[in-house]
Amino acid sequence: MLLDRIKSLDGILLAAVFGLMICGLVALYSTSQSGGGANFFLSQARWIMLGTVVMLVFAYLPNRFFYELAYPIYIISILFLIMVLFWGSTTYGATRWLRIGGVGFQPSEFAKIATLLAVARYLSDERMEINRPKIFLIASGLIALPFLLVAKQPDLGTGLVFAVITLPIFFWVGLKTNYLILIVTPVIAFATSFNIYLFIIVLAAIIYFLYRIRFSILWGIGYLLLNISLWFVRSIFWNQLKDYQKKRITTFWNPEADPLGAGYQIIQSKVAIGSGGFFGKGFLDGSQTQLRFLPEQHTDFIFAVIGEEFGFVGVVIVLALFTWLLLRIIHLSNIFRNEFSSIVAIGVGTMLGFHTFVNIGMTIGLAPVTGLPLPFISYGGSALLTNLVMIGFLLNFYRHRYIY
Amino acid sequence: MSNINFRSGNPRKLFYYGIISAAMLLLLGGFYNLQILQESVYRGQSEKNSIKRETRIPVRGHIYDRNWGRFQLTGTGVDSLRQVGVPFQLLRKLMPLKSRVFDSEAAFLDSLSVRGGKAEINRYKNAFLRYCQMGKLIVDNRPSFALYLVPALTTRAQLDSLSSIINISVDQMRRNFRRSRRFQPVKIARYVDYRTLVKLQENRLDFPGLEWKVEPKRHYYFKSSYAHVLGTLGEIGEDELGRDDSYEPGDIVGKKGIEKVLDKVLRGEKGYRFVKMDAVGRRVEEIAFPENAFPYPGKDLYLTIDARLQRYADSLFADRNGAFVAVDVRNGEILTLLSKPDYDLNLFAEAVDPEVWKTLMSDSLKPLFDRVTQATYPPGSTYKMVAAIAGLNEGIVSPNWSVFCPGYFRIGRRTIRCWNAGGHGEVDAVSAIRGSCNVYFYKLGLKIGIDQWADYSTRFLFGKLTEVELTAEKPGLVPSKKYYDRIYGKNGWTKGILANIAIGQGELLVTPLQMAQFAMILANNGTNHQLHLRRKLVDKIPRYRLTDKSFQQMAEENISPEILSALSPLKDQEYSHKSLIKKLDSHIGLIESNELRPKILGSAEKRFAKPDTFATQSTEITGISPEVFEIVREGMRQVVAGGTGWRAGVWRKTGGGKTGTAQNPHGDTHAWYIGFAPFDNPEIAIAVIFENGGGGGAVAAPVAGKYLQRYFHYKGEFDYREYREFQRILYEKQKEQALQDSIQAAQAVADSLQNLAPNNQD
Repeated sequence: MLLDRIKSLDGILLAAVFGLMICGLVALYSTSQSGGGANFFLSQARWIMLGTVVMLVFAYLPNRFFYELAYPIYIISILFLIMVLFWGSTTYGATRWLRIGGVGFQPSEFAKIATLLAVARYLSDERMEINRPKIFLIASGLIALPFLLVAKQPDLGTGLVFAVITLPIFFWVGLKTNYLILIVTPVIAFATSFNIYLFIIVLAAIIYFLYRIRFSILWGIGYLLLNISLWFVRSIFWNQLKDYQKKRITTFWNPEADPLGAGYQIIQSKVAIGSGGFFGKGFLDGSQTQLRFLPEQHTDFIFAVIGEEFGFVGVVIVLALFTWLLLRIIHLSNIFRNEFSSIVAIGVGTMLGFHTFVNIGMTIGLAPVTGLPLPFISYGGSALLTNLVMIGFLLNFYRHRYIY
Repeated sequence: MSNINFRSGNPRKLFYYGIISAAMLLLLGGFYNLQILQESVYRGQSEKNSIKRETRIPVRGHIYDRNWGRFQLTGTGVDSLRQVGVPFQLLRKLMPLKSRVFDSEAAFLDSLSVRGGKAEINRYKNAFLRYCQMGKLIVDNRPSFALYLVPALTTRAQLDSLSSIINISVDQMRRNFRRSRRFQPVKIARYVDYRTLVKLQENRLDFPGLEWKVEPKRHYYFKSSYAHVLGTLGEIGEDELGRDDSYEPGDIVGKKGIEKVLDKVLRGEKGYRFVKMDAVGRRVEEIAFPENAFPYPGKDLYLTIDARLQRYADSLFADRNGAFVAVDVRNGEILTLLSKPDYDLNLFAEAVDPEVWKTLMSDSLKPLFDRVTQATYPPGSTYKMVAAIAGLNEGIVSPNWSVFCPGYFRIGRRTIRCWNAGGHGEVDAVSAIRGSCNVYFYKLGLKIGIDQWADYSTRFLFGKLTEVELTAEKPGLVPSKKYYDRIYGKNGWTKGILANIAIGQGELLVTPLQMAQFAMILANNGTNHQLHLRRKLVDKIPRYRLTDKSFQQMAEENISPEILSALSPLKDQEYSHKSLIKKLDSHIGLIESNELRPKILGSAEKRFAKPDTFATQSTEITGISPEVFEIVREGMRQVVAGGTGWRAGVWRKTGGGKTGTAQNPHGDTHAWYIGFAPFDNPEIAIAVIFENGGGGGAVAAPVAGKYLQRYFHYKGEFDYREYREFQRILYEKQKEQALQDSIQAAQAVADSLQNLAPNNQD
């Protein structure tokens, strides 16, 4: 009986998750080799145990549970986000934490899950055809509301996560490829608006694309003007950013410009990883890590610890585990026979994938420093709990995968 | 039909697979590039381009007494000046200035110059400033060194040879290692003296993992009498780490006393320096870094304590145990705060010798225990004023209400004795205080009742902390009805208790500091000033301003015109040291700023900020009529003027006071005296207790009297020589009188005998 219950879990998914958490613990043990400092290893081990229990509880809840509660949870999470703006506690110039009865938590983590559930529920109804403007706008609105509230905190990294889950979900439920391209191009135009040549190339590509799909002239010109106006929007947007956000972006483009300031993190991280070589310097023998040249080594830059002490071999193992995990999640969303489950799975996959790419990319200078933690590996109870809850969803859906 | 394509060949699924794989390959490529293609580049960088943050420990603020920075020509000062060769002629010219107090160095030297001539005074300037300094330096710092070892670079054999040079066992060092990172330097010893350090430096090559840092330690100038004011320092405990952001493991912080309370101000701000290290952790060079910061020395603390009086009070105690507090009643400044026995703080300046610690801890006289704020005693008769004020102010008795004291008092079947077995006869409020009549206060206590009594006790701030800048203060105990109900059960206690607490016995407990505060409130007719020990805090770092002159000077020192023009926006603005350096960094760049900083700061106009002085915080004990204070104070005046406390009187000075002889379960009675002087316009209040010392009038009052003599002597209002002369004359007069009296008596006897004789003949 019990054995059946255990067998009903998705072992392939769980193997990847636990593999990653073990890698995380090893790296955290390495960063905790001090007398006075906090022991991240023990603390994280405790969080993993708690998170596993929570995950299993979620896995065995009734199948329709999340579906039924999706909207109420969404509303509560929005209320929390509003409360943070008024009563949240502020650290490093951002208001992200809410204290209720002495326990602090980040409502934005909670909101990620809630938004995903709400969007999934909305779009799981087959009458909600995503290519209809009204449906598209409502679904986007569901995501935009928490996104704006989180961006207001400000928490650029987490805010981006909201924006990022949108398109993969829409595309999964049938958004037309041309529409997808029309939506993505302004983002690319915006991203390239720092460099006039790149920007012009993008504009040219847009014109070519509009011609190919035979877009009406009037709409086409309007769309082109929209893209051009992004050049000006960018400068306004730029001025809106806080100093530390600007610094992160400029140092992404050119870390050597400020080697002692904002670029310091990226350079130290690259030195740590590069000097690790093929086999690494050995467990607890990474001088960059142990001498604390690596900033934020237990959270944002934990992957650099792995890179330094375990070398390219260690990197390949962890990357393989992540690939395994992500491919499995996409596979699950394909085999779930229930729309709601399938959409949630895509959302979970996107979120985890985004965190993974941005975090790891940041350690080798391929992505800007955003403060997004590495799923299952970075130190931090809040994020770990969120991720394990999402895995709990997938396990739950997996048990009922044949139910329509 | 579903919007989602659930076929296993869904092209969108394959698209997602593709994106994930592509992203992973991209990352893999990045790592391949860094770790395999460019490995040697980064390995080289990690070996020589390592940057490490070093903490620079600030110098802890010095502590001075209240008079530091004031000057006075005194008799002993003149003697010393003569001994160091200041000509007699010059000193004679200066004699009119004797005893005058000058508040600043400049004012002192000016006045000397007017009398003695500028050139002459300048010649002996240092001698004058040294021997005429009124104040005392109480604490400053001495250099000592802390040793660090990098575990990864240290072998077992090295530990063995190290332990033969410094006095630390190998086990101890290894224990330190266990809790630390392999590459992080671990502190293995502190308070290493210079000689040992030199020995280690000579063998530097044998210990590649050895580092050292200057770490000042406290030096105390007085062997006794300051332990309980200042308190000790020690390595920060884990529970204290969270108290302040800047606290780090291994820091030395105040553990007790004012060193703990004012720790944040005294310790200054730590500085940081970023240094390039090689792969084995050795320092290569210091680098300009925006987070580099200077260590800022702590502020200097000027206590309210008068070192001369503190020392004198200490000498009055000899080997006795107890506490002494003197307070300036006009502002709450504590002039003397003494708990005896105490201990030599220098024993704690370094890591305490375990033997010494054990002796101090197990000493039955408890030298580590601050009797002024932490010991609670029954106050005895010194507390009678509370009952008197409560009775009079509530109209329970009139000032003329009187009691006949036969020397004992009967309550129920018990008889309690007055201390004066012969009885005081008919006494009213004033004479009851004057004679400290127990019978009067037994009866008064029964009339007042516990609630009123407790109310007045709390109004006079008993049972509450004084909130002086010392640690672990005790509030004492004012028993209430609730308290007695709890201890003895409802109705389980009798009125006898009331009679007892009215004379300051029983469960009532007070600290000597509270008694001094009480004396101050009585002296002030109800005004209380927050008692305090900090007179002012002085910042040693000046504020800077770049003026026209500074720019000229910089130009002369070959600072380039570009830099000068970059600096021009800073002109004529006042900056703190820290903000000026920040400005320099941002205006002329880190490297230049690092290089030119001494020149720029040197040219700037400097001004010292005004010291933060402690503002007097006063509260009024309200609801007590002036007449009541007048009666009670009149009683206290008479105590000194011929009453039980006559020995606390000072010749030609008025005063008020009260003696107390408190019974207690630990042996002989405690001898108490509290008082104030002068009677009109009071300046100083005193509380003194000798533990198990005997009678208050016989033991405590004379000490208070001597202290007050000395206090007025320093003010120039009491002359010991004159007083001794007066005493001699008085003594001779008395002798003469006695002679005359005996002659007269003899005469009388002779006369009477003569008168008898003829009768006999009759």
